Amino acid sequence: MSSVRRPDAEAKVRGAVEYGADLAVPGMLWGALVLSPVAHATVRSVDLSAARALPSVVAVGAADVPHIAGASGDPERRPFPEREVVYRAQPLAAVAAPTLALAREAARAVRLELEPLPTVADVEAVFPEWPGPGGPGSPHVAAHVLARRGDVDRALAGATTVVAGTYRTAGVCQVALEPHACLAEAEDGRWKVRTSTQSPFGVREDVASLLGVPEASVEVEGTWVGGGFGGKGASLLEPYALLLARASGAPVRLALTYREEFLLGRSTLPMVVRMETGVRDGRIVARRVRLLLDVGASLPGRDFATGYSIGFLLGPYRTEVFEVEGYAVRTNKPPFGPHRAPLAPQAAFAVESHLAEVARAVGVDPETFRAQHLWATGGETPFRQVVGPFGLGEAFAAARARAAAWRAQRPDGHGVGVGLGFWSTNTGAGGEARLVLSGRELRIEQGEREIGSGSVSVGLATVAARRTGLPFERVRVVYAPTSEAPFDSGVYGSRTVGALGRAVDEAAVALLAEIGRRIGATGPVTLALDQDRLVARNDGRSTPVADLLTEDERASGGVRTVGRHYGVAPAIDESLVVDGSFYPFQDFTGAAHVAEVSVDPATGAVRLIRYAAFHDVGTVLDPAGARAQVEGGVVMGLGTALTEEAVWSDEGRLLSDGLVDYRLPRIGDVPPIEVTFVEGHAGAGPFGAKGLGEPPIVPVPATIAAAVRDAVGADLTELPLSAERVARAVKAPRPCGSGDAARPRGASGDRR
Amino acid sequence: MSGEPPALRVNGRAVALDDVPGDERLLDTLRWRLGLRGTKEGCRSGGCGACTVLVDGRGRLSCLALTRELEGSSVMTVEGAADDPVGRTVQEAFVQEGAAQCGYCTPGFVMAVTGLLRGRGDARPTSEVLRGLGGNLCRCTGYVAIARAVERARQELR
Repeated sequence: MSSVRRPDAEAKVRGAVEYGADLAVPGMLWGALVLSPVAHATVRSVDLSAARALPSVVAVGAADVPHIAGASGDPERRPFPEREVVYRAQPLAAVAAPTLALAREAARAVRLELEPLPTVADVEAVFPEWPGPGGPGSPHVAAHVLARRGDVDRALAGATTVVAGTYRTAGVCQVALEPHACLAEAEDGRWKVRTSTQSPFGVREDVASLLGVPEASVEVEGTWVGGGFGGKGASLLEPYALLLARASGAPVRLALTYREEFLLGRSTLPMVVRMETGVRDGRIVARRVRLLLDVGASLPGRDFATGYSIGFLLGPYRTEVFEVEGYAVRTNKPPFGPHRAPLAPQAAFAVESHLAEVARAVGVDPETFRAQHLWATGGETPFRQVVGPFGLGEAFAAARARAAAWRAQRPDGHGVGVGLGFWSTNTGAGGEARLVLSGRELRIEQGEREIGSGSVSVGLATVAARRTGLPFERVRVVYAPTSEAPFDSGVYGSRTVGALGRAVDEAAVALLAEIGRRIGATGPVTLALDQDRLVARNDGRSTPVADLLTEDERASGGVRTVGRHYGVAPAIDESLVVDGSFYPFQDFTGAAHVAEVSVDPATGAVRLIRYAAFHDVGTVLDPAGARAQVEGGVVMGLGTALTEEAVWSDEGRLLSDGLVDYRLPRIGDVPPIEVTFVEGHAGAGPFGAKGLGEPPIVPVPATIAAAVRDAVGADLTELPLSAERVARAVKAPRPCGSGDAARPRGASGDRR
Repeated sequence: MSGEPPALRVNGRAVALDDVPGDERLLDTLRWRLGLRGTKEGCRSGGCGACTVLVDGRGRLSCLALTRELEGSSVMTVEGAADDPVGRTVQEAFVQEGAAQCGYCTPGFVMAVTGLLRGRGDARPTSEVLRGLGGNLCRCTGYVAIARAVERARQELR
């Protein structure tokens, strides 16, 4: 299958596309935020008078938010806090001025009177003996989930071996290259914002709720997005820019600085996982998993983080007796944000590391042990959901073969590891698309913007081309603001092709049916390009599309059809859920990865030597794009695995607030990456495709950790695997009774 | 010094510097004074490479360069790269290899690679060219397609 020339590539290499950060209009003002210098405090006063006294400066604070009576204003979700600051860098006011320098000066002129309160920055400090005193009813708990099946205590008592482990993972910052940025206008009760977002309709909903204004009064136009990995899903700057625009009567540009991006750009936050697994006769008889998740200043009741991640903490493994419990704990950090497959790489790291440890404890090869417990198509998840078409077993077999070959060649100081990652793409979130067929092209009218993965610019067009028979080049994706476009949920959750693509596919099927009616077709109809014009083909006949249009259609652009996709939640056994909510899986996808690493025994520094990724994707729609998603995901995961760590002080200050202290993978860190797709296990998407935005990052930390363990013979239980942590693990006393057959490697030289 | 007013050439065009304050960065001159917003603003502190342009043929971080100090220099931005044979080759190689995803780092990469491949730079081994890209960050591609694009451009220029 050949690959297409990506429609947005040429403009991008010429620097000719406009991102949110590039927006500018004549007469615009520059905005700046006033951020809290402390993490927790009572707000005594936010005095804007000195800022407002500066020439041509406008300033807005809590008192300037409309909160129109009867609108959906949620008092807990206001742009500015009225009584209490709950995280450092929380916006307290916003200013705008004709120059950025003046805006910054005005921001500094805002006088804050804050009375500091005790700060909570560490979840384990909140619950030293969790689960224990405090528990679900504690004011620090934003959400609690508990599910169980069978009698875990009895099953563990009957096990011949019980292994327990605790895993800790660091927060990861988004660091999309483009900081959040938008340009707002507000006039006569109309709110219009152009913004770099993964979800124009999501921003519209947020803005309406945060400002307390009707949704119909808000228009959101997405721009090109300079990277979106979850951080540009919900609104961030838009309400502030809109308030400034209303106060000034001028368009206002508001963008985060890079430091602010680290602070406010929606990091994931640390988590602690405890696992306990009982084995009898080489089989898992019970598992207990407990999660303590830092959700920062996220509001109570928003349990996305625990409700979702809990499912991944059991991994893609059969478990009939289990108990899982998760606490989302509030701390004085910015609200938790989702970052590419939120928490799944961290969960996979814990699951894979733990089960390998369990296998070694009972004297079974860790890969064999996992293969024996892996879900298979048609089986059951622990929550008794039927496992849909699932190619992870096939991917795993291929990965094991590759690992065996690499192990046979590995030099001293090197290690080879295999890790699995399971992911459920969010094809349940709904959306709609319109197709418009003229005599020259097929247009896809839809509400998303291209965030970089190609899922919109290439993915949607590929679906329409493949369904209708048209060449890719004659299908054009149209980007429209919320006032014109059909609704869609957003470009997140690896759902774009799987869900919005389904809507496009449905519209394409309807289009072929309509054309078929018009030509009196018998049998299948396809579209084709014939000497620069589109034709409909049926039963050996070819009819120009232009001849099939009504007069109205010629005037309005062509024949229109609409497709809708709203997923139906699959069934799980709800009786197992004791407290909170558990999210069923929408689609079953995953990958098995293999890494070879070298470890410097003196410093603990880990270097990736080579990497192979085997992915269950259902059907590959765009080979080049699919490969690129895997390469990019692997390297992002390399950062999560080795270097990326959001470090917080006890006072709730982010210490790693720039590219010097927060290290991203660089071009020199990247090894050869081999990508292989396992097809044939059809997913929920068009033509059986499965989403591929998130899955590639999921197995990476687990895989690299397994390789490091193979190299040094010591267990690594914390992410990232910084040189310091690896060096400490190498020097730590070895755990006893592990039945570990692997020899310690890397201690015999390889000093450079 | 001659009596000529201070000037800078940007993509072949003379730009007067009289009104430019001494502390203005080249990045801001390009983006907000000249409207050349193809050059991207990232970290503004030399850490991401998104703002890379060519100054007298060599890659330079425009966020760390003061415009007034570049008097008499020639600046090439991504908007001018298509008129340069090496720049155009690099751009096409990035398209062919799918090296631009979100595209925000792309102008910086295109200019950095162009700077490294100019003046018989194509004779250097790819590994050496890639070392020169250590200051350019990309969050989407994992750099793999970028490395392929560098190799393709190098081959085509040889």
